[in-house]
Order: sequence, then C-alpha cells, then structure tokens
Amino acid sequence: MEGSKPKLKLAVYWAAACGGCCVSVLDVHEKLFDVVAAADLVFWPIAFDIKYRDVEEMPDQNIDVTLFNGAVRNSENEHMAKLLRKKSKILVAYGSCSHLGGIPGLANFSTKEELFRRVYSESESTVNPDNVNPLPEFEVKEGVLSLPDFYNDVRSLTQVVEVDYFIPGCPPQTERLLEVFTAIVSGAELPPKGSVIGAGTKTQCDDCIRKKTENKRIKKFYRPWEIQDDGVSCFMEQGVICMGPATREGCGYRCIKGNAPCRGCYGPPTGVIDPGAKMMSSIASIIDEKEPEEISRVLEDVVDPAGLFYRFSLPVSLIRRKLI
Amino acid sequence: MKNCRIGVYVCMCGTNIAKIVDVEAVVKFVSELPNVVLAKTYKYMCSNPGQEMIVQDIKDNQLNRVVVAACSPNMHERTFRNALRAAGLNQYLLEMANIREQCSWVHTDIKEATEKARALVYAAICRVELHEELESMSVDMCPNVLVIGGGIAGMTAALEIADAGNNVYLVEKNDHLGGNLARVDLTAPYLYSARDLLTEKITRTNNNKKLHIYLQSKVTNLTGYIGNFKATINSLNGKPPEKNKPAEVEIGNVVVCTGYKEFDASRIVHYGYGKLPNVITSFELEKMIRAGRIVTKEGKIPRHVAIIHCVGSRSQEFHTYCSRVCCMTALKYAHEIKSANPECYISDVYIDMHAFGKGHEDFYCRSSEAKTLFLMYEKGDRPVIHKATSKDNCEMLIEVNEKLSGEVIEIPADLVILMVGMEAREDSHEVARIVNISQDKEGWFIESHPKLEPVATTTDGIFIAGTCVAPKDIPDSVAQARAAAARILARIAKEKIEVDALYSEVNENLCSGCRLCNQLCPYSAIEFLEDKKQSHIISALCKGCGVCVAACPSSAINGRHFTDQQVLAQVDGLFVIP
Repeated sequence: MEGSKPKLKLAVYWAAACGGCCVSVLDVHEKLFDVVAAADLVFWPIAFDIKYRDVEEMPDQNIDVTLFNGAVRNSENEHMAKLLRKKSKILVAYGSCSHLGGIPGLANFSTKEELFRRVYSESESTVNPDNVNPLPEFEVKEGVLSLPDFYNDVRSLTQVVEVDYFIPGCPPQTERLLEVFTAIVSGAELPPKGSVIGAGTKTQCDDCIRKKTENKRIKKFYRPWEIQDDGVSCFMEQGVICMGPATREGCGYRCIKGNAPCRGCYGPPTGVIDPGAKMMSSIASIIDEKEPEEISRVLEDVVDPAGLFYRFSLPVSLIRRKLI
Repeated sequence: MKNCRIGVYVCMCGTNIAKIVDVEAVVKFVSELPNVVLAKTYKYMCSNPGQEMIVQDIKDNQLNRVVVAACSPNMHERTFRNALRAAGLNQYLLEMANIREQCSWVHTDIKEATEKARALVYAAICRVELHEELESMSVDMCPNVLVIGGGIAGMTAALEIADAGNNVYLVEKNDHLGGNLARVDLTAPYLYSARDLLTEKITRTNNNKKLHIYLQSKVTNLTGYIGNFKATINSLNGKPPEKNKPAEVEIGNVVVCTGYKEFDASRIVHYGYGKLPNVITSFELEKMIRAGRIVTKEGKIPRHVAIIHCVGSRSQEFHTYCSRVCCMTALKYAHEIKSANPECYISDVYIDMHAFGKGHEDFYCRSSEAKTLFLMYEKGDRPVIHKATSKDNCEMLIEVNEKLSGEVIEIPADLVILMVGMEAREDSHEVARIVNISQDKEGWFIESHPKLEPVATTTDGIFIAGTCVAPKDIPDSVAQARAAAARILARIAKEKIEVDALYSEVNENLCSGCRLCNQLCPYSAIEFLEDKKQSHIISALCKGCGVCVAACPSSAINGRHFTDQQVLAQVDGLFVIP
C-alpha cells in the first residue's frame, strides 16, 4: 500500500448500548482484513485498550469516521459524544439507540428515581439490605471515587451533538455497513449531511413479499403466539401488529422472513417525524367497529402500546418522555 | 421561512372580541415578530371597509401571507379568501385565528384571554408561513336532481326543480305520494283541507314530464361527489330480482325529505295505549275524521273527549324536544270534534300551550272561547288514566294534578286522544349512511349551520328539508323544500362548480403499497394501482376529509392545506410563543 493515499482513521464507540452494534461491526468477519487494509482503527473499546485520554490528546478532526453506537444516558456518554464530535470529520449515529434513543430510551417512561428504586431495591433479584445507591462521588481513604452522573433523560446522539449520517438498525445489517464503508473508502460522493444511509427510503412493505390485499379492517388484535401464521399474508391482515408500514426498509425484512412481525428498529421512513404516533393513528383508523365500547374492547388487545409503538423511538418522538 | 411578508389583522368584532381581548396588545406583540410586515386592528374586519383595507395593504406592501384573527373560519374564511383573491393573491395563503368563539366568548379574564389570543395568533403565523398556493378544480354540474321522499316537502322541491326544466328523480318508499300529510284531515290554524293541498301537488307531480317517480322504491347506493353523483334506486315491490332491475341515475344534487314517524304511544305504559280500547293516537283520530265518524270502539258517540299533549315530547325519558305541531293540532281536534258533535265536552290536558306561528295565537283564543276545558300539568307529572266504574257514567277517568289551581282534578273521558310527537324514522341512519350526512342524538339530520345554512349539509350537494331535519309544520317544510330547490337551481344555472383544492394526494416516492388506507375512504376515492403496487387518490372524488392522511403510517399521503408540517408548526406555535 506504500505510495497510495493515506489510510482512513476509523473509530467505533459504544455509549448506552448493549454491545450488539459493536458485534455487528465484528460480523464483517474476514472482510475485516479489507477494512484494516484501507483504514486504521484508532479507537474501539470493545476490541482494543485505548484510553479516553489518548482520544483527548488527538488533534481535532483527527479521526475520519466515527461510528457512534448507543444512546446518551449519562455524563460519560455525553462527554464522549462531544469529544468524538470534535475529533471526527464524519460522525455517524450507528444503530437504533444512537439514531433514535433505542431500547434504553424506553426508560424515558420513568424518572431516574423510579429506575433506581426498581433496580437497587425492588427488583426480584436485588439483595440490598443497606439500601446502597450509586452516587456520582464517594470518598474512600485512597481519595474520591467517581461515577458518571446518571441523567433523567435518555437522548439520541443528534439531540446532543451534530450528526453527519445515520445508519439505522438494531443492530444495523453488517452488509449495509460494508457498503457504506466501501463508498467512503472509494471516495464516492457522499449523500447530503443529515441523511439516513445504509437503508432505503420507503417502508418495509415495499420490500416485503407477503401478500397484501385491501382487507385491512380489524376486529381483533392478536399477539404473534396467539395465531397460526399462514406465512403468506400480511401480518396486519391476520390481526398482528407489524411496525413494517411505519418502518424504513433496508434490513431485508429479516424479522418478517423469520415469521415475526417487524419491531421497527430501522426507524421512520423519509418524511415521517414520529413513527409511533403514525402507527397508532393508523391502527386507530383500521379498527372495524363503530361504538366506543367496542373500539375500547379491540384496543385492550394491544398489550403495552407504549413499548410496542415506541420501542425504538421514544426519545426522538413528539411525546419524548413521561412528564416530570 | 424566507421572503414571507405577512399581514396580521386583529378584528374587534364590535365589542365581541375587544371587550375581553386586548386587541392592541396582540397587535403590538405580533408587530415585533420576524416576517410580520404590518399588523392592524379594525372594528369589523369582515365589513367592506375592513376587506378593502386588507386588499389595499396586500397591494401596497407586497404582502404574500395574511392572518386574520377574528371569528370561526366557518363564518368568514370564504370572505377573507375572496379578499386575497381580489388583491391578486392565492386564496390559500390565508390563515384564520379564531379569537372569538375559541377565546373572547369563552373567557372572562382579560389577561388570560389576551394571552390565549396571542398564542392563537402566533400559531396561525407559524402555520401560514408554510402555506402553499393551491388551485381549485372546476367540474361540470349535472342538472339532474334526486329527491328522496314523496311527502309535501319532497314534492314541493321536486316540482320547483322540474318546473325549471331539469330532470328530477323522485323516490318514495310507499305506493303513493303524500307522506304523513296524506293521513291528515284539516290543517291548523286556517282549517284548510290537507286533501286539497295535496291533490293539486300530486296531480302536478304526476303530470310533469321532467319528473320521474319511483314509488315503492328506495335509494340503495350513492357514489360520486357534488355535480356528479350516481344513485342506485331499488324497487321494493317484492317481484323477483330478475324482473326488478335497479335503476341507475346520474344526478348533480340530492334533496333528502324523508319526513318523520310518530312516537309509539305504547311506550308510555300508564296511558294504557293498546290496552284501553278508547285511548287512541292523534293519527287514529285523523283516520276517523277522514272517514266522517268520530266514535268509540263500541261505536258510540263520545260525550267526553280528553286530549293529552306532549306524548313522547318534552320528557326526559323519551324526547326532550317539542314536536311543534301538536298543540295546534290538538286545538284543531277540539274544533273538529265540536263541529261534528256540539254536545261533546272536550278537555285539553297540556304542559304549555305553544302557539308560536302565524295565526296560531288567534286560533288558540278562538278555541278557548269554544268551551274547551284546559287543564295544565307539570312536566314529568303525567296525568293517569283509569278505567271508570259503571256508576261513573263514562268510559275512563283521568286524574290530573292541575298546575294552575294546584288541585288534583278528575275528568271523565269516553275517548282519549294522545298527541303523539314526531321522531326520526327508524331507517334514518341508513339514509344518512347512504347519502353521507350526520345525525344528532335524536336521529334528526344535521344541517351545515343551524342558523345560516339550514338546508345544506356538510356533504356538498346533499340538501335536507322538512321534518327529517327536526319537527316542523307544513309552511316551514315547504319553505325549506323551496330553499333547497333554490340553492340547487342556482348551482345548475352556473353549469360548473368549483371544487375546493383541499384534496389529498399520494406521494409516489413514499407509498410502499401497505394498503392500510384502501378501505377507509368514505367517498371511494382511493384505488390501488396493481402495476405500481401503490395506492392512488382520485382527486375529483376526494373531499379532503383527512381519514387516509391520518391512517397512512408512512406520511405518503399528504392532505393539501393540512400537511403534517403545517399542523405541527401550528401546534409548536401554541406552545413556544415568544
């Protein structure tokens, strides 16, 4: 590679995340050799021991591309988001949590106090007779120990810093990542700043080959285990709520191929601001009953509507969180 | 938005708004907002000088957006849209903030009302910045008209329109014309014969070449939109379907005159209707009068007749409204019974005597001179009818807690006439569904505006007249029928109709063909294009109701003039007022 253009500097970071996004990067398997041929991985906590201090000491805009996964839930996440923004030419919100707030974002239906009470005293597996709770600072004889400050709010990356691109998914499809990476390496013209990349523009239904008819009026909703899925017709027509109609295409409708309704991890398609609200509005429209009591009865079958419709998108939605 | 030049006009509405909202403070606040070029108050913005001021300002200051903070857009949106047009500006670049009905009329605190008015106006400004120029469509007006119901209202409307040279399809479910009026003998207060009134109408209806009568038939389907409806008329004559092909007619407008049915008196158990043979309804008496003999079930001439008012009307259990015609009809019965049998004693048992119409009060005075005994009872404290014993020398005894004397009075009766009120027909909901109009909680059809649009409905091209709207007497029914006919004739004369530009459209770049919207359109405007695997809206059929916009999970359907961005900007404006 001598004499060729300098290698790209690549970073991957996890904030409030489960680790799945980092694993999806690892899932490039032997293609990793192609990646490292074209790029130096300068920071990737799951894979190498590089300290935050090392990043802090880098010159600004030293990193070409940072894939930032996970939501911003505490002061450490926020510090790293701001730091990596400063050090990166291109900051990519990678995966649902970074893109929309994701599963950790569902914590916005609770307050910090409620979460701590549940986790540190009430949960079935908690044994905490001294009622020890995490504190941001704690004095021991060796000095002061500190923990990141836990916020009330979970935020998406773009609610904290300016983001150049979004790669959706929980986790994003590794193939899509490779396409994006190849495009960047090849010097192809990049889409306008703020774009969702590594995905389509329409919804899952555009891809999905299940049979769709006009017969979408619903008298009863079912959870997937309550029906014998025929494997052929649209889930909505079988009374199973599928987030596909309000979810961006690009994953290859993998859940639906596996006979499970779409959960919505790819986020809203172009033009949709709040996929949860859109889907609720849609569901309310197709209920095939007229009387208020009947409509209520039909809706009772929708278990945990907040978690169903806002599974990945609560922090960026119109309602954003529970009122404090 | 760049290059927005907004004019804001805050109406005082005399003192209607200015009394509670500090309009000057609102003007001062908006004047300082970016993009607002000028802001003014005026006594009556809807007046000619008010409109002219807006037109002049648009021209002088190159305004390209206008916000009028005044009354409901239902009231004056059209007025101000016309002002924009007159100034050469697209009419849809207007937004109204309702600071009267939604503000000054519902608040008493000046400070709070002014704060709310500021928020409403600011929200309107945020919205109007995103307004787009839209063009209305013009469609042909089919001159044929469908009239549903062959009573006095239906025949009047049909004749009026047919006499002007247009084809009218008159559909009546009975085997004869005339409706409820055909069941009546004389009419109050002038005692004209109903038969005379009707015969003339029926003869003219039958002889008019432009009038196509479908007896024993009903309208089973209506599709299309104003100017271009298609109706299916099915026969009810019971012949096998192969001999009974439904008729398909093309029409531009519809008049619904389906009338009323009388209250079922057996629902009021203690009047004994259906059990006591000589307790009859007003319509049963009419039948006797038309046959020429007022007698009891036993064939005897009654010496004592009691007339009980408000049967089913003005009651919490049945209908809370007044049926309007029964008081005068009851007086008419007193006349008719007296003239048939001068020896007869008549008691008139009422709650209040409603003699509101022309000639009605005089009629009441004449009746009270004709030795009718009037007994007043309290609403909810109904008279009780007992069977009399043999020594009472009459059939029944009626116990009335008489309100004026404060005494319980027992009156004899051989014949009791129950003045049954009017109620909506049992099939009115079916009619409402077919022609796509609304009903109130009692089942009456709802007018577009109770005062200013009494015969129009919220579905363009569908008119209502007569007692299917609410109880009313013959002159009012006829007036409404003629009003509906006049509205329709005016439209036919124009030959074309402008259809509002507020229709919805599918963005082909966004529709993924999930088909969630396909069965929702009340106007059948949505089709699915199999080749493109996308839904499509036929704009001429769309009324812009927004059902599909709300149902579309991917924002592929855009409601023109009600886009997500416009609505959300307005909502944001309400909450983040500077």
